[in-house]
Amino acid sequence: MPGPAADVTRLAAATKRLFEDLSDESVEASAAWTVAPSTMEEAALVLRAAADARMPTRFYGGGTHMDYGYRGDFELVVTTSRLNRVVDWQPEDLTVVVEAGVPISTLEETIGERNQTAVLPEAFGRATVGGVVAAGLSGYRRFRYGPTRDRVLQVGLAAGYGRVIAGGGPVVKSSTGYGVPRLATGSFGSLGLVGWVMLKLWSRPRATASIQIDEAAAAASTYRPLAVLETSEGSFLYLGGDPQQVTAEIASVDGEVRSGLHWPIPISNRIRLEFRVPPRLLRQAIDWAQRVDAARWIAEHGVGRVEAGVDAIEPKAIQAARAWAETNGGALIVASTHDPEIDPWGTPPVSIEIQRRIKQAFDPFSICNPGIFPGGL
Amino acid sequence: MIGYGLPHFPMTRASSVDDSSGVVARLIGVLGSERVHTHPLDLLVFGKDAGVTPGEAAVVVLPESTDEVAAVVRVATAAGVPVVARGAGTGLAGGAVPTSACVLVVLTRMNEIFEVDEVGRTAWVGAGLVNEALSNAVADHGLLFAPDPASQQTATIGGNVGTNAGGPHCLAEGSTIAHVLGMEVVTGDGEVMMVGGAAPDPLGYDLRGLFVGSEGTLGIVTRVLVRLVEVPPQLETMLISFVDVSDAARAVSEVIAEGVVPAALELMDGPMIEAVENFVHAGLPVGPGAVLLAEVSGHSVGVAADAALVREIAVLNGATEIRVARDEDDRALLWKGRKAAFGAIAQSAPDYYLNDTVVPRTRFVDVLDEIYAIAERYELRLLNLIHAGDGNFHPIVSYDAAEAGMTEKVIDATHEMVRAAVAAGGTLSGEHGIGIEKRDLMPEVFSADDLDAQERIRDAFDPLRLLNPGKVLPEGSRCLDRPPT
Repeated sequence: MPGPAADVTRLAAATKRLFEDLSDESVEASAAWTVAPSTMEEAALVLRAAADARMPTRFYGGGTHMDYGYRGDFELVVTTSRLNRVVDWQPEDLTVVVEAGVPISTLEETIGERNQTAVLPEAFGRATVGGVVAAGLSGYRRFRYGPTRDRVLQVGLAAGYGRVIAGGGPVVKSSTGYGVPRLATGSFGSLGLVGWVMLKLWSRPRATASIQIDEAAAAASTYRPLAVLETSEGSFLYLGGDPQQVTAEIASVDGEVRSGLHWPIPISNRIRLEFRVPPRLLRQAIDWAQRVDAARWIAEHGVGRVEAGVDAIEPKAIQAARAWAETNGGALIVASTHDPEIDPWGTPPVSIEIQRRIKQAFDPFSICNPGIFPGGL
Repeated sequence: MIGYGLPHFPMTRASSVDDSSGVVARLIGVLGSERVHTHPLDLLVFGKDAGVTPGEAAVVVLPESTDEVAAVVRVATAAGVPVVARGAGTGLAGGAVPTSACVLVVLTRMNEIFEVDEVGRTAWVGAGLVNEALSNAVADHGLLFAPDPASQQTATIGGNVGTNAGGPHCLAEGSTIAHVLGMEVVTGDGEVMMVGGAAPDPLGYDLRGLFVGSEGTLGIVTRVLVRLVEVPPQLETMLISFVDVSDAARAVSEVIAEGVVPAALELMDGPMIEAVENFVHAGLPVGPGAVLLAEVSGHSVGVAADAALVREIAVLNGATEIRVARDEDDRALLWKGRKAAFGAIAQSAPDYYLNDTVVPRTRFVDVLDEIYAIAERYELRLLNLIHAGDGNFHPIVSYDAAEAGMTEKVIDATHEMVRAAVAAGGTLSGEHGIGIEKRDLMPEVFSADDLDAQERIRDAFDPLRLLNPGKVLPEGSRCLDRPPT
């Protein structure tokens, strides 16, 4: 792969001008160019130019999940810092159209005026809407509301082949064409830049409470709590609903009650492991987290996710835990900024050939986050 | 229904079916002659769905296992013959209606429940399992399968997956797509592939999400891992009467705007109520106006609060009567009125055309007015059955296809209604799919680039275009221009 210097001389004059015009200095990235388009058309132009020059390109939102996936050398970084508008909030339809670069915190603050929520991850610092959708992240409240991808009604994509496309429908229920929003959600920028999304919203519950319970099984007496978490710091039940209902539910459960939602502190160890297993195997996944000496862990009951943080780990320990997860139809994902010996994804899905064809169809010159996706796509 | 009268195909004897390609003989080799049908009557019956589009199969097969489906696909595609998958044929958009001579794969015999995990709340089922049979089978565990299309007594899970089917209770629970975790599919190459699974967020692209709603154009879904939900501990079902349908519509909008998402909010207008009441005698208030069937569910205390709010908003919007279901039998009676609607319509005229379109809920009242205006302009008898909570209209035109020019008039009027919904920021279909019916309307909601992207997806799965060709995407959707290289 040519280095950045070679790349700069290779660029056509028009592309250089475009990149200079859109230059973004707010993000520190070790690439030859960092640009911030402010429209979808600009984003598509940038990608077309990058395709012409065969420049490996990476996308950057809030920078909170850049340690996911295989490593790569990137010559161009496209940030969403100028795609930062809440475009169309329809509180009475419980929907919002929002550009990718809007931080979750800003979106929640905006729609919080009418007591609504997009049910995105609860605590991810500077994470942006586009980043969260591209990474396919859901919050703990998915236990009640389902994963994020169930709420992405529409998506705007600057595809790797340099065209602007939209998919899905601008309504809460649609069976109109292929599920392009599903394809984009969790695609890690490998098909192009997720530039905007339309999200389905929910009303925030009028009352909420967090209860520290002795064991997660104690949550069984409640109907559809917001979340049931078992963590290295204890087990927690999160309730939400009508105030009288929450009061009644609190009375039915033993434990220390706090009003409001108090989520665990995010795991910030050097290496983060994420078990994704069928929910009935959660207990065993927790056992694995303990076996690899996780400093901290957070397990989501009814969901099947266990996040665990470690400061160091033997590749062999990962292999063993991963073999168990994969044998049971799950996966073990490792997010780590450092160790090249650690495979972040593990065995690619059996549908890898079709996945490869999709990648090729949307990113024919393999410039969009090339190689970082499962299977090295 | 349009086209329900005369057979469209010459009634030839089975032995005269042209099998110069040898496909039929090879299919018999795979399935035996009992499960390979070429009699014109079979081709006629299986070539239709519950909608208006006539179709034609070359041969109908009834596989009983995924391996058999795979073998059928290999036989067909090796000969370049298209393959169309079909469930119970309750679709209304022509998604399972062949557009050319094809092998029609009827999946209704693959109706097993392979595994129920009551702890993880999932079940592996055959694509041919009837929707309601699944909920009945898991009821003892206190679980149910949430999507409940009106056709649920007949429609199959595979068909629900194909169209991303909805139903009244999808308002709070989401459509089929929110209830499918994984599936076994037969690809266009005749290979068997698993996508998704019980673990959350499977690695790679969400192919499971693509398969749902793809109407059999990406592969044939043979087994489905469904998500089951708890039967709610408490339900309150109310039948609320209004003098004017617009009042009912406004009440719906205000309930949603308050942030309350009931389990179901179904609206029937005056003509619909009359048809239903004549049919099931559920004690619906016949006359002008409308009824709203509202159901809230959940924790007993929360249900009481939400139900009170719904009633309060209804009264503020001019509700004249609120009937609360006293018990499960009463509730079933109220729902019977809603679910029997299609049977009821058949009483009033020989044919009906039922459409499916969605609008943002803020535009619900305006679009409803427009739909009435269009029916009046065309002088058509219109009945409305509306999944009001999510803005999903089902305008139904009841008519007699024997009347000259009537069918064309009905289609024109219906297309105008769809365009009115699209102009208000809505889309073509909420739960029936595109099929043939709305294929050529796709450019009304998608740009050439958007359609090209969808063609790219299709090509990735089915480069030979042998899986349910002629559906979903209009001809020529693939743009030829490419970025400069």
